[in-house]
Amino acid sequence: MTDDVVITGAGAVIAVEDAEAGLPETVRSRGARAERVTRLVLGAGGAALDAAGLVATDGPARPRVGVVVGTAFGCFLTNDAYARRLDMGAAAASPRLFAATVSNAAAGELGIAYRLGGPAVTLTAGTVAGTAALGHASDILRAGRADALVAGGADATGLGLKVWSMSGGFAPGAPPTDAAAFVVLETAAGVQRRGGPVLGTILAYALGFGDREEVAARALADAGVGAGDVVRSVATSSHLLAAGGPHALRSALANAPRGGLVLVVDACPTGHAAALVARAA
Amino acid sequence: MSARLAVITGCGVVSPLGAGVGAFWDGLVAGRSAVASIRRFPAGDLAPNAAAEVTDPSLDDPDRAGAFALGAAREALADARLDVAAVGPARIGVALGTTLGGMQLFERWIATGDASGLASVPYYAPATRVARAVGCRGPVVTAQLACASSTYALALAADWVRAGRADVVFAGGTDLLCRFVVAGFNCLKATADRARPFDAARRGLVLGEGAAVVVVEDAEHAARRGATVHGRLLGVGAAGDATHMTAPDREGRGAARAMAGALADAGLAPDAVDFVSAHGTGTPYNDAMEAVAIGRVFGPGRVPVNSIKGAIGHTLGAAGAFEAVMCLRVLAEGTIPPTAGLERVDPACAGLDLVHGAARAHRTSVALSTSSGFAGANAALVFGRA
Repeated sequence: MTDDVVITGAGAVIAVEDAEAGLPETVRSRGARAERVTRLVLGAGGAALDAAGLVATDGPARPRVGVVVGTAFGCFLTNDAYARRLDMGAAAASPRLFAATVSNAAAGELGIAYRLGGPAVTLTAGTVAGTAALGHASDILRAGRADALVAGGADATGLGLKVWSMSGGFAPGAPPTDAAAFVVLETAAGVQRRGGPVLGTILAYALGFGDREEVAARALADAGVGAGDVVRSVATSSHLLAAGGPHALRSALANAPRGGLVLVVDACPTGHAAALVARAA
Repeated sequence: MSARLAVITGCGVVSPLGAGVGAFWDGLVAGRSAVASIRRFPAGDLAPNAAAEVTDPSLDDPDRAGAFALGAAREALADARLDVAAVGPARIGVALGTTLGGMQLFERWIATGDASGLASVPYYAPATRVARAVGCRGPVVTAQLACASSTYALALAADWVRAGRADVVFAGGTDLLCRFVVAGFNCLKATADRARPFDAARRGLVLGEGAAVVVVEDAEHAARRGATVHGRLLGVGAAGDATHMTAPDREGRGAARAMAGALADAGLAPDAVDFVSAHGTGTPYNDAMEAVAIGRVFGPGRVPVNSIKGAIGHTLGAAGAFEAVMCLRVLAEGTIPPTAGLERVDPACAGLDLVHGAARAHRTSVALSTSSGFAGANAALVFGRA
């Protein structure tokens, strides 16, 4: 581990209709052609990059700036639309839809829009994927494989996901909604060099399967703090799916006193669990 | 850089060349191709309809990708001679890649209304199934980098081991053949009847299916329990093209960045590498891009290169894991399998020293595997001999 990982920007979108508000024109036009989850990622990721002062929409891809997206269901709605057409026979298969049936489409679009040539990673771990993405981004930065990463979680909801869920596919705690929440993570040394803002510091994270309390205890132990040191402990909002963890972190840091410790505990009915410890700036 | 080192102590595969690492390796070295007309599901309206299917009837499970992953994980577990209880469930993780997950169950639901098994549809489901079967309580994550997914799953595993988040990780990938994917690549006009990586007459990819899983373990942990080490996972890298959603960057810049990043992570110079496992899909654009990218990193013709997609097809989210197992066998055996289907090298790829026609004896200390996928995803791994 070579350096502290700090948060230098944050952005969130809760309604897809608001996703393109405030984005540069080139990004808005990409979003207009994209599927729902990609629009959410462009909106929240773009807002986080803007807040961090790291927007670039032309020029060569930046090799040390990348993206880590966490998503529970990714391109599910596109899969559903493509598969229903295909059910009418192979001649009905849509190349436009099939090309978007990859969960990393949103990371790819964000990378093209904002010239991100560093690691381009998408992860799923049920609804814990957003918190897992933040944790993995911090590992990449500490390993020295990037200088800045826009990381977070996003999921798009719609009729296809709802019908599948109600048919036994997935049982969220509350009716899910569209959401994306992203932050920009950088090494402390890197942001100090460029003079960017600092909203907080990631101290530790942990991932596990089956026991959220055990995972939270591991994250606290890795951070070298006790449960009593935490000023804001938040469980995620399950209706925000993979955006829940990053959204909870963003809100907790904004509301914590200066220097206060924040614990985010994230769990999914699938068994996936994650916890993250951060210190407010 | 962490002081902890990731090593590989177990391997398992379910491949179109047969069950188990032995059948897979023997088929590769012999230059066999498992590509044939699709037989397992209705394919009369699919053109082309060639693919490399897994034919083992014991794996006829509605959750085909999950069954493949579990079969490969069980072989890897036995190969590693792991005692899960002794390791401790909280110290064991699962990192898999897939591009289709339980798509066969989803297709069945849409076609017939059969809702059984719908919880196994999402991409996270195969990793969840393996985690439950193994009894793991550590990190469980599924990498989603299209055709570079399982390459990156091994990168995740290396990061967890090196950062002390786990002592043992089952890492790999799984994917299946179904109408969803065959019709999809067909309608993109990306497929052919025969996979011919880097050949002047190549016309497209041929799909395959199966799973490959390796046990990534902390080196000291492996030494303490007296495990056999198959190889070291020395470096990982990833990079986005940031150019196009389906076509690779013609200049190979993203793939070159991923390879250079993996070498930097390993602390090695390009001339330390003795062998490169290419993505080598057999599509005109991919193979030409890779020739440029590999040339950028290693220089023209300096290092032997192969592709195994002529033998087992393009197994998508499992491809990088299959190639990792092949690299580990190359390191152990000093033999590079030939590129099945390659007869006449495309002049655009002539800068590569392509192994074809027959296996090549080649003492190999360091191997690099590179993968690329839709949305401009690239990932690379560097392996060292045990």
